[in-house]
Amino acid sequence: MPKLTIDGKTIEVAKGATLLEAAQQLGVYIPRYCYHPKLSVSGNCRMCMVEVKKAPKLVTACSTEAAEGMIVRTDTENVKNARRDVLEFLLINHPLDCPICDQAGECGLQDYYMEYSRAKSRFPQEEKVRRGKRRAVGPHLMLDNERCVLCTRCVRFCSEVTKTSELEVMERADHSYIDLKEGRALDNGYSLNIADICPVGAFTSRDFRFKQRVWFLKKTPTVCLGCATGCLTEVHHNENTVHRIVPRPNAETNTWLCDHGRMAYRAVQAGDRLAKGVIKNGLIDLEPALREVASRIDENHASAAVLGSPWLSVEDNAALARLAADALKTENFCFDFKAEQGIKDGILINQDPAPNTAGAALIRAGRGGLTLEEFARRVADGRIKVIVTEARAAAFIKDAVKAAGARLIVFATNKAEIPAGAYATLPYACYFETPGTFVNYQGLKRRAAPAVEAREGVKPLWAMVNKLAVYSGTSLRLDCAEDALKGIEF
Amino acid sequence: MESILLKDKVRGLEGYFAAGGYKPLKKALALKPAEIIEEVKKSGLRGRGGAGFPTGLKWSFIPKDAEGPRYLVCNADEGEPGTFKDRELILKNPHALIEGMAIAGYAIGAAHGYIYIRGEFTAEAALLETAIADARAKGFIGRNILGSGFNFELFVHRGAGAYICGEETALLESLEGFKGQPRLKPPFPAVKGLFGSPTVINNVETLAAVPAIMERGGAWYAVIGAGKSAGTKLFCVSGPVNKPGVYELPLGVPLRDLLEKSCGGLKAGKKLKAVIPGGSSTPVLTAAEALAVNLDYESLTAAGSMLGSGAVIVIDESQCMVKLLQVLARFYHHESCGQCTPCREGCGWIEKLLNRLEDGRGTVKDIDTLYSVADGMMGRTICPLADAMAMPVMSFVKKFRSEFEAHAAGRCCPSEAPGKH
Repeated sequence: MPKLTIDGKTIEVAKGATLLEAAQQLGVYIPRYCYHPKLSVSGNCRMCMVEVKKAPKLVTACSTEAAEGMIVRTDTENVKNARRDVLEFLLINHPLDCPICDQAGECGLQDYYMEYSRAKSRFPQEEKVRRGKRRAVGPHLMLDNERCVLCTRCVRFCSEVTKTSELEVMERADHSYIDLKEGRALDNGYSLNIADICPVGAFTSRDFRFKQRVWFLKKTPTVCLGCATGCLTEVHHNENTVHRIVPRPNAETNTWLCDHGRMAYRAVQAGDRLAKGVIKNGLIDLEPALREVASRIDENHASAAVLGSPWLSVEDNAALARLAADALKTENFCFDFKAEQGIKDGILINQDPAPNTAGAALIRAGRGGLTLEEFARRVADGRIKVIVTEARAAAFIKDAVKAAGARLIVFATNKAEIPAGAYATLPYACYFETPGTFVNYQGLKRRAAPAVEAREGVKPLWAMVNKLAVYSGTSLRLDCAEDALKGIEF
Repeated sequence: MESILLKDKVRGLEGYFAAGGYKPLKKALALKPAEIIEEVKKSGLRGRGGAGFPTGLKWSFIPKDAEGPRYLVCNADEGEPGTFKDRELILKNPHALIEGMAIAGYAIGAAHGYIYIRGEFTAEAALLETAIADARAKGFIGRNILGSGFNFELFVHRGAGAYICGEETALLESLEGFKGQPRLKPPFPAVKGLFGSPTVINNVETLAAVPAIMERGGAWYAVIGAGKSAGTKLFCVSGPVNKPGVYELPLGVPLRDLLEKSCGGLKAGKKLKAVIPGGSSTPVLTAAEALAVNLDYESLTAAGSMLGSGAVIVIDESQCMVKLLQVLARFYHHESCGQCTPCREGCGWIEKLLNRLEDGRGTVKDIDTLYSVADGMMGRTICPLADAMAMPVMSFVKKFRSEFEAHAAGRCCPSEAPGKH
């Protein structure tokens, strides 16, 4: 456990810790481009140079191990000059196209220039090295070689995290550039992380480009519902529109975020977003739709059933459980979903595509209910004739419903989710618009927080359930999402 | 003074035998590895590639308890402008290198050695292949060498033309099949080198000196030369001298003697202006400084330059220092590996500044910028390539500023007709 002094402050750090990590623990910020805590140390940007007493030259904080008794300074003239020089070197061949660059506002060159340099350029514009501009390098990424500072974070990400090695530094000296290896594309399923870790505007997201200046974005911490991994995320939005999702790095689950998870927000603003009910194939206002559904339930009261969903929050599943027990007063309900849990690609993507299989199990533990097999059997043999469920969960009993011709009443956010042959569909607010709790594959409870407001008339699922119960003559007295949770170990 | 390295008639195995070749190997194999390292330490032999690090000490850095293989690598990627000594040595005395490697391999416990030779050295590589085959046929290379139980395989690996691969860790990357880019140190190659194993990397000239040290003893070698700069050194002289070429002389020889006695002085009508004493990356010396300096590690350091690879580049009054530096800058700009920011961007910037001055578009401000760009590169990169660019720039500007100012004022240097090169 070496003890060292950085800028006059002493700290003891774990053996093997670098000067940069030690400084971080002390709250001393050392600027960096190539260093990334989750990637190998490359030491090429030379931005993190610090002064170590008795060392003949400045050393890179990212690669130098802390040693007993080291006296480190990050605030000397020598260090400041080195930072200023590196920034000057990085900027001489930079196109300075900030006004049209999407990175502006969150750019390592802009930020560090303001913090550490502010020097006037000594380099004539016409002598700049020109490189390739905007070029699509995959389904999600655009590459602008001219803005690149060659920190190689992207190269290391592809070789160390996804292990797909699509990228390489071509050529030498100031004619070096990042490029795809021949015949490759950046389509490894995690490519948008590269836009995040790129400290400049070289890699930008094709999805996010030109949608919004980053300083207008508001940030809402939430959780990804793309699979059972339950990565922590941050939704960036403005004026009730979601613009992008980025990971919220945490020790338990994720540093990165997969492309699939990042694109999940698109459904929120998609053209097929439901704000009304659907009966068979026809759109219908919400109130008549609810009335119609209620009467279908009432006429088959003895054979109506509720199937929960691993895509719904714990609260909304609990509301569905209340619907079954207190409004339909039936034993025909099921919160039994079994799915293989665990990371399937060695990075983040889970074998279980549903985000809340573990959360549904909590409902089953508190309220009981049928097994999924038994539920399907009762549908198949006609004991269950009307099923209220969530659109994607209907797939679990698809064959039985088809065989027996049961009536399917589903909750859905988008038209594309509606299963074939559904009798009625009711809209609800998705979890970008309403809060909810999800339990990931590790058993961690994570909160989805609303970033935007739902379209007028679109209500959370628990509120829809409440209404549906009223229409069929019972009050569940649900005033908020948590009301349904009573009696559930949570 | 007799030559230790550059001998005549030893290129073939027969000639090498006649001169007592491969006896030192036999002698070495009877010793313990530690005894060989001790002998080399005693000799005072220092790395001839440029850095001058004590060879015996370098060998002793190989961890004694390290598991797995160890490697010996010979750096024959001779690419520094002005340097052509290793090529000459390989052509004249290839078996000295092969024998030196076998002894070094035995000393550090390596069963495999690689000679990483500059790609352009086609004939030299072929010659080495033949020499190794001959040595193998006689049992000096291969399994159970001379019945000692020591196995040593030797391979020639040709580079692909990058100057940076002369830097030892870039060489290792290249040898492993990757793009030649220097590695971060530590870990040093002695701990984690080729294929992640302990590795010693020595220059051709260093390894070729080992058989003589084995044969005649470290104490004998240590007496040659000047103090801490022991032994002989190959000096390759280029420029307007009467007899340019490679000369083997004891370290500590006055530069004046090398020029006047060995090289027969400057060509008629030429007047000495400056000397780059140790290859293009070392700081330039003015004529006065050059004629007062001795060629050994310490004297040249004291004179503000370096012994480097022993490449003595002679510059006479008719040559333009700005033009010369422009040529060097073009080289380093082309050869920077592009990894570290200061070198990647700085080398190009320096070349552009020199182009402006050479083309008559430069200003006095450009001269100051030139110096400060070099200063900003110095000592701030993973490997010394940035320093290799910065040192000549800073010394040229400091010592020959008037020529740069003449260019900035729209004239060429004073020694030439205006506006012409």
